Amino acid sequence: MDIGPYVLQLFSGLSRAMVLFLLSAGLSLIFGVMNILNFAHATLWLLSGYITFSIFQFLGEQFGASPWLLLPAILSATSLMALIGFALERFLIRRTYDRELPEQLLLTFALVLIVGDLIKLIWGVENRRINLGVEPVEMLDTLINPYHFVIVGSGVAVAAGLWFFLHRTRFGKIVRAAVYNRNMVSALGIRIPIIYALVFAAGVALAGFAGGVFLPLLPMALGVDHDVIVQCFAVVVIGGFGSMLGTFVASIIVGVVYSFSILFWPDGALAMIFLIVIVVLIWRPWGLFGTELRY
Amino acid sequence: MISAVSAPDVRRGALARHSLSVPVAILMFVLFLLVPLLPGEFWTHVSTEVLILGLFAMSFNLLYGYMGQISFGHAAFFGVGAYASAMVFTRLKAAGGGIGMLDFLLSLLAGPPLAAVAALIVGFFCVRLTGIYFAMLTLAFGELLFYIVFSWYSFTKGDDGIQGLLPPLYFQDAVHFYYLTLAIVTLALLAMWRITESPFGYIMRTLRDNQRRAAFLGINVRLHMLINFVIAGSFAGLAGALWGPFSRSVNPGLLGWQESGVAVFMTLIGGAGSFVGPMLGSVIYTLLQAVVKMYTVYWPLTIGTIILLIVLFMPGGVLGLIEKRIKARRERDAGGREA
Amino acid sequence: MNTTDRKWEALSEQLKLSRRDFVFSSLAAGALTLTPRLVSAQAAQPYKIGVLLPSTGTGANYMAHCIKGLPVAIAELNKRGGLLGKHPVQMVYRDDETKPDVGTREAKSLILNDKVDCIFATYSSAVALAVQEIIHEHKVLHLSATSNSSKITQDNYTPYTYQFCPDSNMQSGAVVVAVSRMAKKNKWKSYVSLGQDYEWGRDTHKGFTTGLAKINPEVKETRQMWFKLGETDFTSYITAIMAAKPDFMFGALAGKDAETFMQQAGQMGLFKRVPFPGGLIPVNDLKAQRKTLPRGIIGLARCPFFAHLKEPIMQAYIKRDRAAFGAEGYPDDWACMYYDALGGLEQGAKKAGSTNTEAIVKALKGATIDTCRGKRSFRSCSNQLEVPSYVGEVWDSPAYPFPIYKPDTMVYVEAKEVWTPTCEEVEKLKKKRA
Repeated sequence: MDIGPYVLQLFSGLSRAMVLFLLSAGLSLIFGVMNILNFAHATLWLLSGYITFSIFQFLGEQFGASPWLLLPAILSATSLMALIGFALERFLIRRTYDRELPEQLLLTFALVLIVGDLIKLIWGVENRRINLGVEPVEMLDTLINPYHFVIVGSGVAVAAGLWFFLHRTRFGKIVRAAVYNRNMVSALGIRIPIIYALVFAAGVALAGFAGGVFLPLLPMALGVDHDVIVQCFAVVVIGGFGSMLGTFVASIIVGVVYSFSILFWPDGALAMIFLIVIVVLIWRPWGLFGTELRY
Repeated sequence: MISAVSAPDVRRGALARHSLSVPVAILMFVLFLLVPLLPGEFWTHVSTEVLILGLFAMSFNLLYGYMGQISFGHAAFFGVGAYASAMVFTRLKAAGGGIGMLDFLLSLLAGPPLAAVAALIVGFFCVRLTGIYFAMLTLAFGELLFYIVFSWYSFTKGDDGIQGLLPPLYFQDAVHFYYLTLAIVTLALLAMWRITESPFGYIMRTLRDNQRRAAFLGINVRLHMLINFVIAGSFAGLAGALWGPFSRSVNPGLLGWQESGVAVFMTLIGGAGSFVGPMLGSVIYTLLQAVVKMYTVYWPLTIGTIILLIVLFMPGGVLGLIEKRIKARRERDAGGREA
Repeated sequence: MNTTDRKWEALSEQLKLSRRDFVFSSLAAGALTLTPRLVSAQAAQPYKIGVLLPSTGTGANYMAHCIKGLPVAIAELNKRGGLLGKHPVQMVYRDDETKPDVGTREAKSLILNDKVDCIFATYSSAVALAVQEIIHEHKVLHLSATSNSSKITQDNYTPYTYQFCPDSNMQSGAVVVAVSRMAKKNKWKSYVSLGQDYEWGRDTHKGFTTGLAKINPEVKETRQMWFKLGETDFTSYITAIMAAKPDFMFGALAGKDAETFMQQAGQMGLFKRVPFPGGLIPVNDLKAQRKTLPRGIIGLARCPFFAHLKEPIMQAYIKRDRAAFGAEGYPDDWACMYYDALGGLEQGAKKAGSTNTEAIVKALKGATIDTCRGKRSFRSCSNQLEVPSYVGEVWDSPAYPFPIYKPDTMVYVEAKEVWTPTCEEVEKLKKKRA
């Protein structure tokens, strides 16, 4: 039996999984620590895509076109997004901490509309894309786009980085403790507001990084955020809000299941993911790796 | 699950719930009666839309303001009602060669029951959760229903939608259809009022404020939440049934989360803390949309900013603000006994 | 003949009276009733066009040039005095957000509030079908030049709708013709389909598969794949296609998803292994995707300017757009077809001698008009303009800053070649309207 096609589906599934993970990691982090579900997460991701595009184009005009310019473009866009995230938390999100859940949700919902239209205002309605000029390589009797290795690599690097940060650094441990019991952390004299601001900024920066990394693969267009946010939610729900490991595992599950169902039941690929979400919410609402305490 | 009451819950309303609702409702009813006197047909159409979407928003508030849960999939029941009514309509029309009064009313009546069934199924699963999980699950089911309607072309004609929903000649006149809508919506709201002011309605409020205490009092929390969910779904289905003949067509977008968002926005703008808040919200939202879109395409930016400002500074909505002012004045007049 | 004489000519033609009779009868009937007519001959009533196109949602990307270009086209028309030389044209633009509800509401607003005489709409076929209910009820002329489901002119037929864009059947028919020629030449035996999972995708796919099976029954579809709208990652689909090793692939994709697919597939080298003939690649995609579009791929267009460079009207459109928008100002398919709609309106009014909707509707029935694609006629049973579809190879041209279809291999598939269904069948499809 020719296993080539299956290996390739697995590879494409893993690439898709890393795409989902990079997209959802920030969402999961913010919810885990701050209990805020940021509807605008995908919209901020899209914003970062547009910003990266503009920076890349600008750098290309200054220094001559080169695919390597993508690196500084991504780094600057990510930093800019971190600042934007910080500002959002400081001036808007912060005011809703003592409010009821629905109002917090509505605030981020409103941001979806506002940021979405700001993108239109600044960049107009036409799609943006870049071409790195990378040639496909031969693998297992077929051709693939080597940029997928960059995606998988970035996903794994981010996952490893987050793990290291959360489990091996002092700040990360504080963040994890805040997930369990913020009052106790506060009582220990650690200033929760700063933690929240930095975590939110980090979450938005992750979204920003994802936006930049995807630019070579995905044309940036208005409305893509609406398509993508539902998948983010699916991953975070299945994996468990607040658990990075859960998000990572759920991304792999969703990515690989989707990829293989294309081979066997192409119509039903998205329906399958949906059903998994519903089953998880009914049977174990806090997700595969989420903590029951949160619920 | 204990609900933390660390800030005044604006959904409770600063005053006894019906003290502001009744005069506002009467005022709005009178104004609604007078709308067709305005020049041109356009405002009659806008007001019909206000009434239908207002009913939809008020059905949402049964879950949000009265029961304390936010649902992002409520439009699915609006859409199921719209489609049920549209499909009965087209079949009756095809069989009869035209649509008569009786057939038309029959098609309208088809909406709520089917929406109720959908709400029963969806609600059965959703009422086992609260808070963010309730919100997520309603969103997931809403999208699932949207997906089913969208994909099942042979039955629902998929994303083409169903056209040709022209009411009988008498109701093709915008003013006649408007008064029919006003009559139906008024009756529906009277029924809703009875429900919210009944012991059942007060059980809902208890569930909103403190579910654990309600359970200790012997209330079957899940059952009551489910009943309320079905009632809310039915009223949404009624609104949907009216939407088809109003627009002359239905499409799957009516079931999506963006449509659900409209109900949430209207409720927030008007104020979830009073009975007629959502209807007032519908007036403001729909009129604003009609006017803003004449001048700019940046409607999402406009409404998004308004929602943002309301959430931050006016979470009780317009009626909530008015109630707060009245309460403040009353306390001042009472000699400032409040410290 | 001076202007005043011309105006008298026009008036008396309308009233079917000689000048003398006209003067007498107007005195007799009471100058009051006829003076407004005389007055309006001098300060003519403007003609309002409601332009209902998306600047939000999936359609926005495509309609951008159109929305910018129509005011320029209308200004030029107004330099000639407007319709019939005396009715200046005013344009009211509304965003339908690519949503049927919004389209319905905005159409009502245009008709009842702005009192437009005619509506140009729209991009999405779903929105068009919903809008048709409104324009039919209010008896407003509806000129369609992008939304192209065959349902618009057949199942959902209304005499008030005129279609300037080749419909979905004509388009898939064209692809069948082109692919069939290539299949015979290259001895293709098998293909895989990839389609957007919604009505247009399914419709287009069905049109192609049934059409091809009729002409080339030996060519078989070995796999069918559908994806949800808004798919951002086609990698798994692309690997599956390559694994199937088909002779070619057919795609029922349009819009943003098509662009995403083309970009990702191109980068994965899919088109080096599996030819992809007949995907929709209109001019705005050729312009926008000039850096990412794989060359040599066979595309389908609806009204590319470079296919009719010899037509004087097309030359005029190009000249005007370049003057207004600079070096990139080449009108895309949609802009050209909407300009044709404007031209069709002008000619219809001229033929009817009036701007009255019923008169124009009657005048355009089965009429032959001048368009950027030459002299074309409306099919009487469906009000569909008899226009070609274009299949060609993406190729870098020295004349333009973006690729076009290679002129010597471009195929024009005339409407008559792919005129399905027959007029008899169309009559059966038409639904009964109250």
